[in-house]
Amino acid sequence: MEKILIVGLDCATPQLVFEQFASDLPNLAGLWQKGIKARMVSTIPPITVPAWTSMMTSKDPGQLGFYGFRNRGGYDYENLYFANANYVKEKTIWNYANRHRMAALCFGIPQTYPPKPMNGITVGCFLTPDKNADYTFPGEIKAELDKVADGDYIIDIKDFRTDNKDWLLEQIYIMTERRFKAFRHFYKKDEWPFAMMVEMGIDRIHHGFWRFFDQGHRLFEPGNKYENAIRDYYIFVDQKIGELLNELDAQTSVMVVSDHGAKRMEGAICVNEWLKKMGWLKLKSEPKEQTRFKMEMVDWEHTAAWSEGGYYARVFFNVQGREPQGVVPQNDYEKFRDEVKAALEAIADESGKNIGTLVFKPQDIYKEVKNIPPDLIVHFGNLDWRSAGSVGGGKIHIYENDTGPDDANHAQEAIFIWNIEPGRLIEKKDLISIYDLAPTVLKYLGISPPQDMIGKSLLK
Amino acid sequence: MKGFTLWFTGLSGSGKSTLAHRIEEILLERGMKVEVLDGDVVRQNLSKGLGYSKEDRDINIRRIGWVCHILTRNEVVAIAAAISPYKEIRNENRRLIGRFVEVYCKCPIECLKGRDPKGLYEKAIRGEIKNFTGVNDPYEPPEHPEIIAETDKESVDESVNKIIRTLELMGCIPAGEDSEDYTAEEEEKIKKRLKDLGYI
Repeated sequence: MEKILIVGLDCATPQLVFEQFASDLPNLAGLWQKGIKARMVSTIPPITVPAWTSMMTSKDPGQLGFYGFRNRGGYDYENLYFANANYVKEKTIWNYANRHRMAALCFGIPQTYPPKPMNGITVGCFLTPDKNADYTFPGEIKAELDKVADGDYIIDIKDFRTDNKDWLLEQIYIMTERRFKAFRHFYKKDEWPFAMMVEMGIDRIHHGFWRFFDQGHRLFEPGNKYENAIRDYYIFVDQKIGELLNELDAQTSVMVVSDHGAKRMEGAICVNEWLKKMGWLKLKSEPKEQTRFKMEMVDWEHTAAWSEGGYYARVFFNVQGREPQGVVPQNDYEKFRDEVKAALEAIADESGKNIGTLVFKPQDIYKEVKNIPPDLIVHFGNLDWRSAGSVGGGKIHIYENDTGPDDANHAQEAIFIWNIEPGRLIEKKDLISIYDLAPTVLKYLGISPPQDMIGKSLLK
Repeated sequence: MKGFTLWFTGLSGSGKSTLAHRIEEILLERGMKVEVLDGDVVRQNLSKGLGYSKEDRDINIRRIGWVCHILTRNEVVAIAAAISPYKEIRNENRRLIGRFVEVYCKCPIECLKGRDPKGLYEKAIRGEIKNFTGVNDPYEPPEHPEIIAETDKESVDESVNKIIRTLELMGCIPAGEDSEDYTAEEEEKIKKRLKDLGYI
């Protein structure tokens, strides 16, 4: 029986794993020295949702029908839903494995809450609201999970936005230690042709501690207490992987992957303030000072576009006959979209230098576009800048963010490590696509990759 | 979940095997133990050497029924796909097995003659095959099947969805997913956590 184990490290980034920290990570290096390593191009947008599901299904966000954590349920103004497992309709690697009578162990893979009945074990991901929820399949293992995770399995960090960085760091370590411990326990309980866990800690530590380690970061202070926090954590994770590798038999193939990378964040673009300045968004009244954007502030009859933000921005248009108080005529939709796209691409920093923003039309980048996509997807400064929700105060560029951490943004390339014998690959590549992973794993398990998967198997 | 038998009956080419294998896939995906006893396959092993006289057909269907029975009582979903033309024997299996769901793949003979996926109708009409159900051998349709798949009118997906939905409603199989969205309170918790992380 072929067996494959995938360790997912959310946000693990190639420039650290393959370069800066490579000599500190003997277990990971051992895997790629035996096999291969590559940078893996993530989805647009390169965000946990939809990237992991795109990886597991080899379907792009348009085919999946969700474009981020929150998605429009209808064309009214305040109708956003969280895309949890209920919205995953495409078939995953473990669905196919189960169809071929192979059991699967799925631990913390986004998006697996709420868990669906399957052949094996699912421990739901961080989209679980809290520990009271039924986040495991079978339900009975919930108690066992806590028991083997030192009494309390941690799904995700609560109260992430804290100034108490010591506490945050400790929580990240505890969460990781317990997850690996619990995973090893369930892994040893049975034979798993397909087993996968996703650890969120690297993403959490990047967002919380990047400024302390990146000497080029505007907030970096030399000699700070947390300068080695990220490096030490990567070393810790490498050790945990080493402990896991010790449990495996020689026949089990091991991949270590991430869903996207990370990089320094220069600042935030207040995109709704920018839309206001461009005359495309009107508020009922001008805020006295910079304030968080709320939909109820908007004068819809005089607004052509608004945005929801985060590490990237989604821009939505207020279209006649589509939105309740639409103003953009349907016939002018594409012309308006081109105009907004060009203007976004022209955004400069405060010195007037173009920041290199990438703007995408969903219809151009996805094989199909299901449900309601954003009208435009925006990577400010190619993700050097995040999107901020603030309006008022006249500032487009801000450096102190009211909504989230300022440290790191996501990057387009993830890591891919596999201890496969290189002779089994069609070719040894330095760059692969996130869509290639599922067909490759299925092929490895002896299952013909379905024709409708958009990626291709890396195996001969 | 307890085992049960899903019994597909109908004329040759009416879609029994196609639907049986699609249902098998879905139930495997939902973590159930499943086995398919396809008439064509069974006649290559368990019923090798049997012909198409009434006597041989009855032996064949009783054999398949007995295997379904022992699978069902061991918590396996046994899916049978066989013409099983005689209602007396189908009902005998129903009484033996107990947890028995009958699916009638209903398709007019003219449509089947047009489809003729294995070229058998043509051969039967020409007299090259004797005892061919629907042409020169009887088929007794079920009077009260739990599910009717009208395979001349429905697409495969439509029939599959009908069968799965009925099995869910009957409590035979778990629902494929939890259709409930987050409560308002749950959504607030997720929102706060994602906001703190800078995602929204």
